Amino acid sequence: MKTKKILAIALAAGMTMGLATVPTMAEEKKTFVFGDTTFNAENEEADINPQNTYAGWACIRYGVGETLFRYSDTMEIEPWIAKEYENVDDLTWKITLNDGVVFSNGRVCDGEAVKECLEDLVANHERAAGDLCIDTIEADGNVVTIKTKEPKPALINYLSDPYGCIIDVQAGITDNGIVIGTGPYVATDLVTDDHLTLVKNENYWNGDVNVDEITVRTISDGDTLAFALQAGEINAAYGMAYASYPLFENDDFTFSSTATSRAFYAWMNFESPVTSDPAVRKAIAMGIDKDSFVSVLLNGYGYPAVGAFPDTFSFGGQNLTTESYDPDGAKQVLEDAGWVDSDGDGIREKDGQKLVIRWLTYPSRQELPLLAESAQATLKDIGMDVQVNCTSDNNTIRKDPTLWDVYASAMVTAPTGDPQYFFTSCALDESVSNNGHYHSDKLEELADEMETEFDIDKRAELGIQMQQTVLDDNAYVFCSHLRMSMIMQSNVTGLVAHPCDYYELTADLDIN
Amino acid sequence: MSVKNLDEAPEKKSEILVKMGKKEQCGRQKESAVLKNGKSRDNENRVTVRVQRIKKSHIKQKLIFFSVLAACLVILAIFADHLCPYDPYAQDLSSALQAPSFQHPMGTDTYGRDMLSRVISGARASIFSTFILVAAISIFGTIVGLCCGYFGGILDSVMMRISDVCLAFPGLVFAMAIAAILGGGIQNAILALAVISWPKYSRIARSQTLALKNEPYIHAVILAGDSSVQILVRHVLPNMIGPVLVTAMLDIGTMMMELAGLSFLGLGAQIPMAEWGSMMSSGRSMIQTYPWVVLSPGIAIFVSVVIFNLLGDTVRDYLDPKNGRLQ
Repeated sequence: MKTKKILAIALAAGMTMGLATVPTMAEEKKTFVFGDTTFNAENEEADINPQNTYAGWACIRYGVGETLFRYSDTMEIEPWIAKEYENVDDLTWKITLNDGVVFSNGRVCDGEAVKECLEDLVANHERAAGDLCIDTIEADGNVVTIKTKEPKPALINYLSDPYGCIIDVQAGITDNGIVIGTGPYVATDLVTDDHLTLVKNENYWNGDVNVDEITVRTISDGDTLAFALQAGEINAAYGMAYASYPLFENDDFTFSSTATSRAFYAWMNFESPVTSDPAVRKAIAMGIDKDSFVSVLLNGYGYPAVGAFPDTFSFGGQNLTTESYDPDGAKQVLEDAGWVDSDGDGIREKDGQKLVIRWLTYPSRQELPLLAESAQATLKDIGMDVQVNCTSDNNTIRKDPTLWDVYASAMVTAPTGDPQYFFTSCALDESVSNNGHYHSDKLEELADEMETEFDIDKRAELGIQMQQTVLDDNAYVFCSHLRMSMIMQSNVTGLVAHPCDYYELTADLDIN
Repeated sequence: MSVKNLDEAPEKKSEILVKMGKKEQCGRQKESAVLKNGKSRDNENRVTVRVQRIKKSHIKQKLIFFSVLAACLVILAIFADHLCPYDPYAQDLSSALQAPSFQHPMGTDTYGRDMLSRVISGARASIFSTFILVAAISIFGTIVGLCCGYFGGILDSVMMRISDVCLAFPGLVFAMAIAAILGGGIQNAILALAVISWPKYSRIARSQTLALKNEPYIHAVILAGDSSVQILVRHVLPNMIGPVLVTAMLDIGTMMMELAGLSFLGLGAQIPMAEWGSMMSSGRSMIQTYPWVVLSPGIAIFVSVVIFNLLGDTVRDYLDPKNGRLQ
């Protein structure tokens, strides 16, 4: 009895002391919690190691890593870790780094560190190796000289891709994928699909950091995200469901929105018995109601797409023509190609093959299930039976072309501000993700031409021609471009949506 | 001794009545309380008769009432196609997310589909799937139970161990695992729930069969030369079917919930099929902004589950042999 009493008194005392100390701690320390639907393995962002698939996105988004150059709001190249570059000849680039850049562990980020990092990158990252085509790298003080194997006009753009985050390779990469970068925050803990803990980088080279501690929470469910923001458990959210927007359109919250080059588009499988038929592809292109999809299902937070790039780019959709929504025309196209409904079930057949479209998509981009269900209804009207397979396992399934006909995905088509990226990543014979095995001789030719073209205007012109080629084949149906929004409590400042969709947490972030 | 018995017996009887009364309405409890305090035996008997009459007719009324309601639901499901004011699958994005109005009594969903039509159409999917499921598991379970109970031996051991495995897991969790392996689709959801739910019936059927098989009349029919099948079908089954039927009736509500649950988790009905569980799932993000999208199918599930559960309860009360003895 006596021990119990003593224990109770001790506990009470402890709690009182705890209460007394908590407010002072809160005053000293600024903490910020960020809810994100896309920081997960499903999106190939399992950790923050830039050399691991698309995890560089997380590295740069959450302010751990920085690239040599960055994009301005108009997607032009700006200095970042590097202050300038010089294109000595077709194969040689001389990049000069800023003085005083240090990694968060205190090591100076000089030419040697950059060299080590890039060499490691091309050794470990297939996409980067293909993009950069690096032959040799030389470091001399703050000057890095890169020689490419072949002319790489977009080298500087590619170096600004998230995989180009400069990390301290000598410090190594932990088992859970934590790296040391030069950004305003330092990662201390990471659990894939759960959370990432960041603390202020005391050694940050480029100004003062306002927030002391940040937790990035992976919240894949849109409702949970909305409730968490409403309850104040998170300070800001990325990837909120459109249906929840009205909850935050008030004084307690602010939106930061911007047009991005993220496109929601459908890939056609050229190995499939149905979508290898040009008439079927054309009918699908004519059977998707892009305008209503954007205005109603996306609440207007998007732009109907024509080609791969939005109108804000000089090589954007305004230069292109493609099929528009025309159900009657689509029916005619199918009719002419011999797809008729002979058994009266509303689904067309040809040579005993039913017009069934296996539509593969995934749920972590909440627009995609909406697109699937909308397309399912409009395509049914013209006689197609669309069977939606909305699964997080999409990246495995799409590698087997016998399992799908149409793959709807969301991708940033011009993260480097240059048209080449989209084609090299998914439309060419050598593209890693060309899982539908689309091939066009004309496109390959144009791509070869772009490969060696240094003139920006000519590259844009080539970009237009290449998009038009893809559209003429109806190899891809571009449905909409995203207007990306982050929603935050109104006392949060410095969290600004960027058109390239990969600068989120910066040193400017603050809570008042 | 005999004097003591005479004194105690009425006491006990009234106690039984009091217990019965507690199950029913408060009013009757009060009467029973009065009855307990009553001194005269005549007085007790008179009240008891009245209590019994009220109770009996009440059950019948309830049975008729809930049967009519359940019949209404079934008719709604059968004629769903003719009762829907709109095509439940026709999207009209220009009238998306409209609040309930005269044209759309339950509003419209994200794709502009009429919620009332979808709820009516969903009744077919939900109710018929449940009936098929319950019929399948009760028939299969009963056959297994009958055979195990009557023949015993290895068959009995093997089947009962399998049923032990099924009963050891929490039902819905096991069903989720099976449904996830089989892939989506309402047929697979039914299959998954069937695989885990039959042991309950086989246990009931088995225990009843074990009790019946040693009754003298079974020995008599064996002597009369009936085959095993004849004995099971003619003499055992009719005498043990009551509890199985009651369990099946009570299971309808549960199974409806579990099917809707699987669909809610994306393991049952696939889009765009109108099914209450999947409708709730797709509308759940709108509970704060457009509540009718999630509440309409929610209310439909609630109402039908309540009706079938109360019907099951009433059927149980009606068939309860205790009630029969009192009558």
